[in-house]
Amino acid sequence: MTLLRTGRGSSGQATLSRTVAGVTGWLFAPVPLARVALFRVIVYLFIPIDVFVTTRWVAAHAGVPTEYYQPLLIGEWLPLPTPTTAVVDVVKWLLIGSALLAATGRAPRVWGTTTFLLYFEWMVIAMSYGKVDHDRYAFLVALAVLPTVGIAHWRDQRRSEAAGFAVTAIFIAVMLTYFLAAWAKIRFGGWDWVNGSTLTRAVLRRGTDLSMWTLEVPGLLHVSQYLMIGFELLSPLMLLARRERTRIALVIFLLGFHLMVFTGVRIIFLPHCVAILCLLPWERLRRVRPTAESTPGVGPEVIPRSDDPVRAVS
Amino acid sequence: MVVVSDRDTIEQPPTEEVVGLPARARLIRLVIATAVLALTLSGTVFGDDYAFPFGPPRMYATRADPDTPVSSTRVVGLTESGAEVRLSGGEVGLRRAEFEGQVPRLVDDPELLGLLAESYLANNPAAPPLVAVAIVVRRYELRDGQSTGSYVDDVRVTYPLPGAAQAGA
Repeated sequence: MTLLRTGRGSSGQATLSRTVAGVTGWLFAPVPLARVALFRVIVYLFIPIDVFVTTRWVAAHAGVPTEYYQPLLIGEWLPLPTPTTAVVDVVKWLLIGSALLAATGRAPRVWGTTTFLLYFEWMVIAMSYGKVDHDRYAFLVALAVLPTVGIAHWRDQRRSEAAGFAVTAIFIAVMLTYFLAAWAKIRFGGWDWVNGSTLTRAVLRRGTDLSMWTLEVPGLLHVSQYLMIGFELLSPLMLLARRERTRIALVIFLLGFHLMVFTGVRIIFLPHCVAILCLLPWERLRRVRPTAESTPGVGPEVIPRSDDPVRAVS
Repeated sequence: MVVVSDRDTIEQPPTEEVVGLPARARLIRLVIATAVLALTLSGTVFGDDYAFPFGPPRMYATRADPDTPVSSTRVVGLTESGAEVRLSGGEVGLRRAEFEGQVPRLVDDPELLGLLAESYLANNPAAPPLVAVAIVVRRYELRDGQSTGSYVDDVRVTYPLPGAAQAGA
């Protein structure tokens, strides 16, 4: 794709420029605008679900005495308002309005940006009361980069470098959530974290009928800790997934992991799971139309007809 | 004959047209992405939760000793009859983990617990009056990482509500 001038400079320079070109090419590898157009709707419509259903405790901070508010670093740097009842309610309804407007796909840069800023403030309200959650870094990155794609129609099958950058940025954020979790375990728990009883504690505190049995199986949760940190440390390898089918398999694996954790300890990184969906080829939903002439012999190898999860999702 | 790659589907191959990005737009994205990446990495290496959203994703990162009891904290209101009313876990808008994050502060400044009772009574006017608020830590015993099934309740602090004391006097 990219022509490199070699032979003139030193070979080290040539290698460097080839690496830079490779990284840039990967970062901006174009994806169909239709993919982003559909993914964007999912992201913005998830916000009302997040606010009213799955993360209702944020809105409940409206009723908490402001003496319990403990500003984060960002809350001390920026002149953000103390979350009184009125502030929380106003931010909530502005956020909902902005997200619904953004979901229409009109003026994506304007409504996408306001939605990102309001959701960010919503998160400041969420995390400033003694507990910070780590389930939405990739979702915040998604909200930050989606406006940069600009106009994208559901039927627009053209591939776009701006869309490619957005998807890759979210992908990196998803990966980092796992990889940096391993880093944090080693930093705070030490290399001996794997031999601790972290998962036993988690099941004891939050276990369900579907997970309490794991307490009875000697060594099971201990081995699980090795598997968990092993997966997290290797997570950068997921960035090598470039083919659609590999990415679909990756999405199924990751969502399966989060579902398993949810059945075990009732914790699900839902915003993070929504961000993972950027890896799916959503444009196929629009592209697939029954046509009179099919091309037998080529099709089955290219598209799995029965087990294609993208169609199943719809 | 259409050449089909693994990106394509047979029904409608995508157009070959690519909407490119000007060099300047690429550069701006690269610079901002690099800055955010640098903040994220340094947040994990040096920062803490206070640095949100760039703090370390330290979910379950603390090593739990296999023989140290598992603690679970609750904040309760006590009625005159001695019954417990749960104040943590949503009743006044704070989660258990949020209370656990603020326990040292609440032990130093138990008057904050009084505010909690006020909020609770304001939202539940029909509830029986509270005479005190307490922070109770339940410790489940562990042996070699396995639960033994026994626990003890440790009352960290009890704050008698001033109004209730007057009413009782």
